[in-house]
Amino acid sequence: MNLLESQGLTRRFGGLVAVDVVSFGVQEGEIFGLIGPNGAGKTTLFNLMTGLIPPSAGRLIYKGEDITNRRPYQIAQLGIARTFQNIRLFGTLSALENVMIARHLHTKAGVLQGVFGLSPAPQEEKITYQRATELLDLVGLADRAEQKARNFSYGDQRRLEIARALALEPKVLLLDEPAAGMNQNEKHNLSDFIRRLRAQFNLTIVLIEHYVPLVMGLCDRIAVLNFGKLIALGAPEAVQNDPAVIEAYLGD
Amino acid sequence: MVQLSLFQRRNLPRLVLIVLGGLLLVNLIASPPQRQQLLNGLAIGSVYAIFALGYTLIFSILRIINFAHGAVFTVGAYFTYFLVGSPVGFNGILAQQRLPFSMTFVVAMFVGAVGAGLLSILLEWLAFRPLRAKGADPLLTLVSSLGVAIAIVNIIQLLVGAEVYSYPANPFNPILEPVFGKIPPAVNFGTPDAPVPVRTIQIIIFVFSMIIVAILTWWINATKVGKALRAVSEDATTSDLLGINTDRLIMITFFVSGFVGAIAGTLVGLSVSIKGPYFGIDFGLKGLAVIVLGGLGDIPGAVVGGLLIGLAEAFVPSAQVAWKEAVAFAVLFIILLVRPQGLLGRVVVQKV
Amino acid sequence: MNQSSTNTNLARAFTIGAILAVVLLIVRYSQVRGSVVVLMAINAVLALSLYLPLMTGQLSLASPGFYAIGGYIAAIFSTKVFTNVGTPFPIPLIIVEMAISAAVCGFVAVLVGIPALRLRGIYLALATIALVEILRVAALNLEITGGAVGIFGIPQPFATIASLEYLYIAVPLLLFSMFFVARLEQSRVGRAFAALREDELAANAMGINPTYFKVLSFALGAMLAGVAGALAGHFLNTWNARQGTFDASILILAYVLVGGSRTFIGPVLGAALLSALPELLRDLGDISGIPAWLVSFFKDGRLIIFGMLIAAGAYFFPYGLITPEIFRRRKRELTPRALNKAAVQEGKSHL
Repeated sequence: MNLLESQGLTRRFGGLVAVDVVSFGVQEGEIFGLIGPNGAGKTTLFNLMTGLIPPSAGRLIYKGEDITNRRPYQIAQLGIARTFQNIRLFGTLSALENVMIARHLHTKAGVLQGVFGLSPAPQEEKITYQRATELLDLVGLADRAEQKARNFSYGDQRRLEIARALALEPKVLLLDEPAAGMNQNEKHNLSDFIRRLRAQFNLTIVLIEHYVPLVMGLCDRIAVLNFGKLIALGAPEAVQNDPAVIEAYLGD
Repeated sequence: MVQLSLFQRRNLPRLVLIVLGGLLLVNLIASPPQRQQLLNGLAIGSVYAIFALGYTLIFSILRIINFAHGAVFTVGAYFTYFLVGSPVGFNGILAQQRLPFSMTFVVAMFVGAVGAGLLSILLEWLAFRPLRAKGADPLLTLVSSLGVAIAIVNIIQLLVGAEVYSYPANPFNPILEPVFGKIPPAVNFGTPDAPVPVRTIQIIIFVFSMIIVAILTWWINATKVGKALRAVSEDATTSDLLGINTDRLIMITFFVSGFVGAIAGTLVGLSVSIKGPYFGIDFGLKGLAVIVLGGLGDIPGAVVGGLLIGLAEAFVPSAQVAWKEAVAFAVLFIILLVRPQGLLGRVVVQKV
Repeated sequence: MNQSSTNTNLARAFTIGAILAVVLLIVRYSQVRGSVVVLMAINAVLALSLYLPLMTGQLSLASPGFYAIGGYIAAIFSTKVFTNVGTPFPIPLIIVEMAISAAVCGFVAVLVGIPALRLRGIYLALATIALVEILRVAALNLEITGGAVGIFGIPQPFATIASLEYLYIAVPLLLFSMFFVARLEQSRVGRAFAALREDELAANAMGINPTYFKVLSFALGAMLAGVAGALAGHFLNTWNARQGTFDASILILAYVLVGGSRTFIGPVLGAALLSALPELLRDLGDISGIPAWLVSFFKDGRLIIFGMLIAAGAYFFPYGLITPEIFRRRKRELTPRALNKAAVQEGKSHL
């Protein structure tokens, strides 16, 4: 059963077709990889799937419901969280605050409750703090919870972004190049880490990644984009040997 | 967020044709009171236009709104006043003094404009360059320019007071009369029974403004410096890498902007007298409406915006004349909501 | 890291100096010219009204517009509606007027904000400038606002106009505003504001509805400005279109820019200092023996100083003097130097 489905999603920017009638479905519980050469439209596809930009055509279906043209915060509300290729942390805020902010949807204290300490604000604050600390611990950043997000190293910032996305308690997690900037060892650990996340949080994971060995070893199925078009979809071995894919990566 | 539209040479002839065509058409069909309104609107609109030109030039090259333009505009007007030899009023530290020499009006205006241009360069060097070097938000630069503008305007007030200053009457006559013969104080655009008088000075201002627009557009499209300017406004980094001396170009832009602004100030002073140092701030505010309407950074847009707002103000029914001052700002507000890139600007898509 | 810690210490020094200065000013002027101290309090509230939208990253220059609305509401109600209440004018009615101002300004803010707050950066600032100008012209022309003349003879709750006793209302108002903003900053809503300020797109993706919270912060700021205006209306005894102008926007901006835009104390201190500055300068001008041009400068040149402060502040202290950093006691410096120092003390090497 397809949890998240792209039905002919298309996005044009003036004359450029960044995403060209891309259709695929992500099944519940799978780790789904999205690969392709630079500029193939992967991040644009993510942006379409998270409501950051509206599609020029096509539909986005989640749990059987049409969610095309929903806004990002609405999509987050449905349980779809993401990280960003260019890391969009809240730089001058602390790591802890970054993660606490993502618990926004699971709390509801308004202005008056927050200011005057009325229920449910105090209880929510406590829980938010706890959950955020737990998540920081999970990614190994708990000892630097008070440090400003922009002062973290690149790799740590990526981990922080993941912790933040997890704070949304999502059903689907979209990771945009989580391995960028990591060394071999870290990449290997990342693979394990993602598998553990899936198990621990019952997630469905979609990831964009450039480092092909990581994708091959980790993903259940892989989609390959080239020039905005979907050119292959299937299990890693099948995709690896697909002539269209080989040509796309090696050029002619 | 808003990309400037290319300074297109083809826009200028189109603009001129539209203006002339419109004038002819309206003259043919409009009733005298409407004709009066139209011409008044064009007159004040042309002044808004040249003021906005300097504003929009800076935006096009630096993507910032230089609110100090209003102050430079004021300084230019005052420079001209003193260079003609007129005395300071009764207030201010320099009360009752005057320069030990005097120049003819046109020379004074020119020299004053050069002075204003230099002041503009000084401001860029003192206030904007350091902020640019720090990579400051354009909003912060706007705020800084606000501070500069307030400081300058109040320095003027401190030095020469806030009284109304007027230029000598008919200062262009010595130049124009040898060519055109005796210049009347007003020209009748109507009939002897239903006269539509327009003060000659308004006509001179309008013509002057159009000449300045033409010169600026030519400068930007035809000269090497102008082309470099367009390059920098499209992409400053690449231009720099290609060997264009962006710093020098920015200085040139500031000089030109200050120069043109000062001329605008003098022309306004000619039209309605210098009402006090704050008239530059008021113009600065209205100028915002003009450049947003035309499209931030767009040169023909500044002219179109200026004329349109001038016309809009002129056509406010006399019963509600007090609301005239709100017209420009109502336009600004609506345009921002409906089409922030202005009439001639183009929207740029942000990469997420 | 060293440069920033020097800057931080400098800022700490300035802050202590500023607080001392403010205390001194209050002590002096409460004896001589009580109105100055009340103005300091009212301006501090106004500064907070700019600070609120700033928490979501929106520079709104609309406060003077709402301040003017608040003043007009107080003026109109006290001269036309609450007419047979005898003298002095009962303070509870002033509170009622303040509440009405808050409601009206909040409503207008939401109405205007929903379309306008889709704009960002300079465009938003320009829209708010336009709004203030439109309101000003409206105030000049409407009958209910008394046209260009404005409204006179606003009833007084205390024996004299602009008396020090207004502090009985102004100080609680200020304290409440500070409490409100401080608590808000630490709450869930405050975090949402901060997220929007940092990166609206990312905040959106994390589930925060940008429009809702931006309008909320804008409306809260408007309400605060309206309440300040209602009080000021009584305080100043007359109210006209000159109370809500672009100039006022710049002054309020100076308070926040100089005082500090990242923590609620900044605007308060900035307002207190800069409100008293003109008076201080005027007193400096009375010192005998200084040249005439300097006297002129002190008496009339305060806006020159304001302008230069804004320009200098934009460069040197873009977040103002009072930043959250100066409150952090323990700064965990993770520079190699600091690590080494610690290591040497511990007898180990971290190299």
